[in-house]
Order: sequence, then structure tokens, then C-alpha cells
Amino acid sequence: MAKYILKRLFAGLLTIVVLITIAFFLMHAMPGNPFSQGEQKKLTAEALEKLKAKYGLDKPVWEQYLIYWEGLLRFDFGNSFKKPDTTANEIIFEHFPTSAKVGGIAVLVSLLVGVPLGIAAALNRGRGMDWFCMVFATVGISAPVFVISVLLMYLFCGVFPVLPNFGLNDWKSYILPVSCLAFNPIAYIARQIRSSMLEAMEQDYVRTARAKGVSEFWVVTKHAMKNAIMPVITYLGPLVAGLLTGSFIVERLFSISGIGRYFVQSISDRDYTMIMGITIFFGVFVVICNLVVDVLMAVIDPRVKLSEK
Amino acid sequence: MSRKNRFVFEPIPEAALSRSISPEAYQALDGALFDPRLVDLGDAEKVIRPSTTYWHEVWQRFRRDPLAILGLAVIAVMSVACIFVPMFSPYTYSGMDLAHMNAFPTWQHLCGTDQMGRDLFVRIMYGARISISIGLIAAAINFVIGVLYGGISGYVGGKTDMVLMRIVDILISLPSMLYTVLIMLVLGSSEFSVIVALCFTSWIGTARVVRSEVMYLKHAEYVLAARLSGAKLWDILVTHLIPNAMGPIIVSTAFLIPNAIFTEAFLSFLGIGIQAPMASWGTLANDARSTLLTYPYQMIFPVMAICVTMFSFNFIGDGLRDALDPRLKK
Amino acid sequence: MGRLLEVKNLTTNFHIGVGCVQAVRSVSFYLDQGESLGVVGESGSGKSVTMLSVMGLLPGYAEIKADAIRFDGKDMLNISPSEFRKIRGGDIGMIFQDPMTSLNPLYTVENQLTEPLRIHRGMSKAEARLAALNLLKRVEIPDPEQRLKQYPHEFSGGMRQRVMIAMAVACQPKLVIADEPTTALDVTIQAQVLDLLDQLKKTTSTSTIMITHDLGVIASMCKRILVMYGGLVVEQGTAREIFYQPKHPYTWGLLHSIPRINQQKGEKLIPINGTPPDMLRPPKGCPFAPRCRYAMPVCQKYLAPETVLSGTHAVCCHLMHEKAPKVERQV
Repeated sequence: MAKYILKRLFAGLLTIVVLITIAFFLMHAMPGNPFSQGEQKKLTAEALEKLKAKYGLDKPVWEQYLIYWEGLLRFDFGNSFKKPDTTANEIIFEHFPTSAKVGGIAVLVSLLVGVPLGIAAALNRGRGMDWFCMVFATVGISAPVFVISVLLMYLFCGVFPVLPNFGLNDWKSYILPVSCLAFNPIAYIARQIRSSMLEAMEQDYVRTARAKGVSEFWVVTKHAMKNAIMPVITYLGPLVAGLLTGSFIVERLFSISGIGRYFVQSISDRDYTMIMGITIFFGVFVVICNLVVDVLMAVIDPRVKLSEK
Repeated sequence: MSRKNRFVFEPIPEAALSRSISPEAYQALDGALFDPRLVDLGDAEKVIRPSTTYWHEVWQRFRRDPLAILGLAVIAVMSVACIFVPMFSPYTYSGMDLAHMNAFPTWQHLCGTDQMGRDLFVRIMYGARISISIGLIAAAINFVIGVLYGGISGYVGGKTDMVLMRIVDILISLPSMLYTVLIMLVLGSSEFSVIVALCFTSWIGTARVVRSEVMYLKHAEYVLAARLSGAKLWDILVTHLIPNAMGPIIVSTAFLIPNAIFTEAFLSFLGIGIQAPMASWGTLANDARSTLLTYPYQMIFPVMAICVTMFSFNFIGDGLRDALDPRLKK
Repeated sequence: MGRLLEVKNLTTNFHIGVGCVQAVRSVSFYLDQGESLGVVGESGSGKSVTMLSVMGLLPGYAEIKADAIRFDGKDMLNISPSEFRKIRGGDIGMIFQDPMTSLNPLYTVENQLTEPLRIHRGMSKAEARLAALNLLKRVEIPDPEQRLKQYPHEFSGGMRQRVMIAMAVACQPKLVIADEPTTALDVTIQAQVLDLLDQLKKTTSTSTIMITHDLGVIASMCKRILVMYGGLVVEQGTAREIFYQPKHPYTWGLLHSIPRINQQKGEKLIPINGTPPDMLRPPKGCPFAPRCRYAMPVCQKYLAPETVLSGTHAVCCHLMHEKAPKVERQV
């Protein structure tokens, strides 16, 4: 087990290193420089040189790369170009909890709604519940997140003005953003669980369990469900990644000051340290989530550890 | 008596049941029935179904899927419309009619006008051109890259395969949006850069599918025959392996198109894709953000266009998948 | 009546989309206490479905009809689901064909082996564990302490089948049904598993039903034999009667197609030509008629009624009719 985790950890670290390198060199390939945006346009060439020296931008690229790494290992992402007196770290950690709250609730909702929906569909195959589920799932999977968000916002803020569309002030304002983020995953999870439940229920070991006299309830929950839930756990990785990108849209639309919105903002501002910092943060976050998922899978399914390539 | 069951069964038609006979009647049967020489051999030959080619059968199955045909029809209509509507419409995509800003949909302006008086219907049609063409081009490029990468990796195998797959694993372990956004930053905002960004990781799915198909097919005898007669790697791939792996490849490519359309709209919506005054659906939606509650149609029409197009391509993809491999159907 | 299991006129139909598969068409048999019954037939003859129907292990789209199904005096057709569950595993144990897929890969052997003990015998975890250990010893699995904690994928095929056997006999059932227990195993392992089954049968005097398509297995282990074809029982009798005085052309075909140890070199095996019938559209008369050398016009029109030859021997063949030509079985 320890070997398995170490292998995964190593792969994750490698990924992050690659990401940082790619991001870094991409940043430096950008046209223009961070000082030609906004109010700072009126700099003279001399002042520009001084600024560049201050931020270390006149050194050769390789040196800058190493310096950046040095900073990273001290957990210092550098200062934001837009707000030079705040470090990227501060900004990230200030805004991340907001996104985490919305995202975390979205994950919970996805699982709490999606799993029972899929199981209900599987157990009632061919009847009303199943049909309703599948239609919902097909719609939910195809409809992209901003279609859902726009429609829901229009419905519940425009046509029936029952929910707020701005910020995160009270519990009500969480409903729409969470629903928009969770819509897609619920559909996907429901469909996935339905098909893996149907498959699990046809398996020989379910028949063996029934032949042993196990009650139908335990056949479904103990024997079938544990097997059926594996693909959903695998999906948790992409789910988190999806919520991340979904947050760009949802936070922008609902004016939530989370890190997704900040990322988009930094892009418009060409605030390179921020962009780098948030990208790396996202990358690390996703890698950690994937690692957790892998460990979870190994815990539930004893075959995973042995089937390494 | 039969065991209780929650299903209600239709009785078996009389014609399907085998005949049994009462003991008396059995005794009284005619002797001729027991003469083995009088056995009716009957038509032992089964009806041979007319042979069809593989692709013909695929098309037959595809035709029977109502959603897939609907998707195909919608895309066809939209493609025709986006070519011809701008030609015949009295409005252009940038022509501003300041007297009619933010107008509600009327017969004159089928989708209303936006904040600068531009006709939205025409803009949506232009947006269709951009979105659909970007979707198709990106899918085509990803198809080529994916097929070559996966084909070589699967066929050559060994260390090459391991290295190539490791690279893929690393690339894919991060959300593709991150790369896409970063690339957009570097290359600026234009249709070209959107396509490049779309092609950065989308080919990976196709590559994996191709790789597994090729790994399975390369053990076939016709491949061995080709190798023995001196065919080169490239020839074997192109002539033998890839055409036989076409089924799953087509399906995975078909799903690339809605994904590309979505990503382009996503980027434009965030302001880092196609820029104004060009009208892709994403930019239209972005422009209409502030007026969602006052002039909802400005956002809803482009968003519905995205939605309908993606649904249609998804239905086509589902239909293709069911048609190419009916075993996968539940 | 004293019979452990009695089945009269069982019919099972599967209602699938394209039509109705008549897997079992009017099968009747009985089993006494302590007896061993063998059911032999090709794939598709309905032998597995018959037993699954009795056990109630078929999916919802299976329509099971019978005049009577009685087990140990209880009417199995009108039993409540909870009563049925008590019988399954508690009074009847079943061993399935493919040990690779018949065990749940996510739970330890201990978990799965103690399951019937905890359900039917109300044992505590500790008691059940002890019993499970003993069971593993009985089925000759080495190092049972270690094995209990392991998962099914850590066992070989033969070992897994032994675990299945242990699970089936765990609650000391009155009847054990083995559905092709050795078909999926290597030949050498087959012999071991069969020996084990034989031994268990002798030491506990459980009644057994052995389903197989291998006549050799049946000969050594079963007192009475049912020969099934096309969803019907075409012949039944004691092992002696079936092997030495078979009356049905299908039985003859089966016996001829076994390689014998004293066969002459160059002597060909005589297979039965043709393929089994499609039970979605079964033939109107005797299902074996299309492949039978002795077929007569009546065979294509009517199903043959049962002819009783002795207290234990019965056959369903039109050759038994007085107007039919006398046919001698070819050696």
C-alpha cells in the first residue's frame, strides 16, 4: 500500500514540475510586458528598465526560472503586479475559502443527489422513475455549465424573483451557484451509477448472494452497490477539475469573489505572478485530489494495488 | 399455478407452442406416421439474409435512432442557415441601428437587437459560422494528431509506447482549461489561437482509443502478411490498421466537436476568446451579461444556440456509437 | 410423501423483447432423501434453468409455472419471499459454474463464507469465523487462517470453487445443487473437486443434484440420471438403466460420443450432427427430431408422451409406440 501511494505521489510531483515549467515559459513568451497595462503606460524607457530590474525581469530566462523555483519552495509566489504590496499567496488564501465553500457543497450535493437518483433508476428499470432519470441525465450531461447557469439565473432571479443573483450573503444565495455547478455532475453520476448498478445486479456474485439467502436489501447495498460505486469514485477526480473550470463561469455570472473569478480577472489584467500563482495552486489542488481518489480506490477495491502496469 | 411476479406476462401465442397429444389419440394414430421413409425433410436451407457492407449496416442502424437523425437535421439546417442568412439579410453583423437599440424580438429583428442596435439574428448566424467551423477544424486536427500519436504508440509498443503514454498521463492529469487559458494568453485572441488552444489536449482521448484498437488489431494475420511483404510502418498504419479501427475513432472524434464548441464559447464568455466586434456565441453571451434580467433575450438566444448545437452533436455522437457497436447499447 | 424434492410439470419462459424463450417445457422429477441425481444435457437444454427456477433465482422477466414444486413438504410456489430466503442457503445450497465470477471481489473470503452462517444459524462473528475455518479445512484448503483474510482474486480457480463448495455446505443443507461445478476448471483440478464433492456427499448423506454435460462425471457420482434436451426430460432412470439400457436416440448419441479407454485405434468418435434447437422458436414436435437418425413423421408433429419402462426408468420417444419400427441400439 505504501509503495502504491509513493508511486502516485511521485507521478503527481512530476506533473506539478512539468506544469510549473510550461506555465513559466508560456508567461515569458507573452507579448508585451506587465507594465504596459493600465496606468503604467506612461513610463519612460529608463523607468521601465528600473522596474524590470527591480522585479528581476532583465535577467536571462533560465535564471528567472530558477529564482522562481527558489521562491516557490519558500511558498512565496511573488508579488502581484497589479497590487504590488500584496503577495500572490495572500490573495489566493483570501479568496480560496469562498470558492472552496461553494465547490465543496457542490460536490456533496452531486453525490447526495446523483447516487440515489441513479440507484433508483437502476432498481426501477423500464418504469417511470428510470425514464425520468435518463431524460434528466441526457439533458444534464449535454448542457454546458453556462447554459444552465444563465437559464437558472433567468428563471429564479428574473421570472420568479425568489433567489439573489449577487454575492454570497445568506444561505439563499448559495442555492443557485451550487445548483449550476452540480447540475452536470449529478447527471453524469446518476447515469454512471445506473449503468454500473444494472451491470452489478447481473453479476454472478449477486446470484451467489441470493442463493445464500441474503435479503434483497443487503444484496443491493452490500454486494451490488460497493461494486457499482467504483466508477463514481474514479469520476471524483475529473469532477473536481470540472468544478474548478465551472467556477470561472459561475463566479463571474453570480459575482462571487472566489478564486475562479480572480483568475479570470488576472488574465485580463495580465498580472503574471497572479496567473502563475493561481495556475500552480490549481494544479497542486487537482493533483492532491487525484491522489486522494487513488488512495480511496485502493482502499475499497483490493484488486487495484495489484493491477499496476 | 405460477410464482408471484410483479410483471404481467403476455401468454405465448398458440402458434409458438409445441403440440402434445392425449393418450387415446396417440394410440389411434395412423401407422403411416411411424414410417421413417416418409419423413418430410423440409426446407433445410435457412433464408439467407441479403448481404450488405459494414457501413451500409451502420447507416441503417443510425437511421433508426430518432435523436441522432434529429441532431443531424438540426446541424444541417443550421449550417445552411449560417451560410445563406447573412447573405440575404438586410443587416450586417456590425451595422448599428441606433434608433432601435435593445429592441425586443419582432418580425424585423427575429432575435431583437443588442445594446448597439445590431441585429442579433444575423450576429447569431455569424456566430454559427465561427463556432461550427472552429468545432469542425479543431476536431479534424485533433483527429489527425490523435490517430497518428495513438497509432504509432500502439503499433510500435515497447519503450516508445511507455514514454508516449507517460507524456499523455502527465498532460491529462491537469484540467485542460488551464492549458487552454494559458495558451490563449500567449497567442492573443483570435480564431487561430482558439484553435491552437483547443488542439492542445483534446486529441488525447482519440489517441488512447486508437492506441487500444491498434494494439488489438496488430496481431491480426493481414498485418503479419503486410509486414512480411515489406510494407513500412506508415503504410501498415494507414492502409490496414486505421481503417479497421475507424468505428471507435469516429465516435470519439464526433464528441470532440461539441467539446470544441463549448470551449470556444467558454473562452469567449470569459473575455479571452474571440473578441468584439466579432460575434461568436460566447462573445454575444458575454456582451449580454449585464442585461440578463432586463433584456433576457440578448443572452438567451445565443445561449440556446450553443445548447441546441451541442445537443445535436451529442445526439449524433450517441447515434454513431450505438450504430457502430450495438453491443454497447443497454 | 417422503420425497425431499418434487417437481411436477415445471415450465419456465423468458419474456424478452423479441419474443418468448421457452427454456423449460414441462419437466417433472423427484429426489429422495440422501439420493444423488444427475442432470445431463447440452448447453441450452434447460438443465440449469430448471434448478434456478426451483431456487427462485431467475430475473423478473422469467415466468415460472408448475403444477407443484415441493421441497421438504413445503409448497415452494406459494411461499413468502422471506420463507424462501430461509430455505436458500439454509436448506438448499447451490454451487455455480464459474468460480471466477461467482465470488464478490470486494469482500474477504471470511466475510462471504460467514455470511450464510450468520444469516441462517444466527452465529456471532467469532462463532462464524471458527466454523468458517473448519469448513475451509474440510474442503482441503491449506493454511486456512491466512486464507480467510484474503480476497477472491488471490485464489486460484480450483481453490475458489472449493470456497464455493464450503459456502454451499456451510449450513449443512438438506440438498446441494451443483451446476456444472467443474466445467470452468482444468482437467486435473476437476478430478480433485469431484473427489471432494463425492467425499462430502458420503460423509454427510446430503442429497445432491449434479448438473453437467459430462457423462463420465455422472457415472461415478449419481444414482439416478435425468437426460434433458430442448427443455424436456427425454429419458430418466438409474445410472445402470441409462448406461446399459438406454432407450432414447439422444442418450445413445451421448454415450457413443464419449471416447472410451478401450477404443480401437482408427475407430472414429460418433458425434451427434446438428445443433441444439432455438428455444425462442422451438420445433413443433420432438426437439431432437431434426438431428435424430430414427425420426418419423410423427416426431415432427407431436411431442412424445412419457413411456414408463420400470419403477425408475421412463423415456419420451415415439419409438416406444407399438406402430413404430423396432430399433436396436447400435453398439
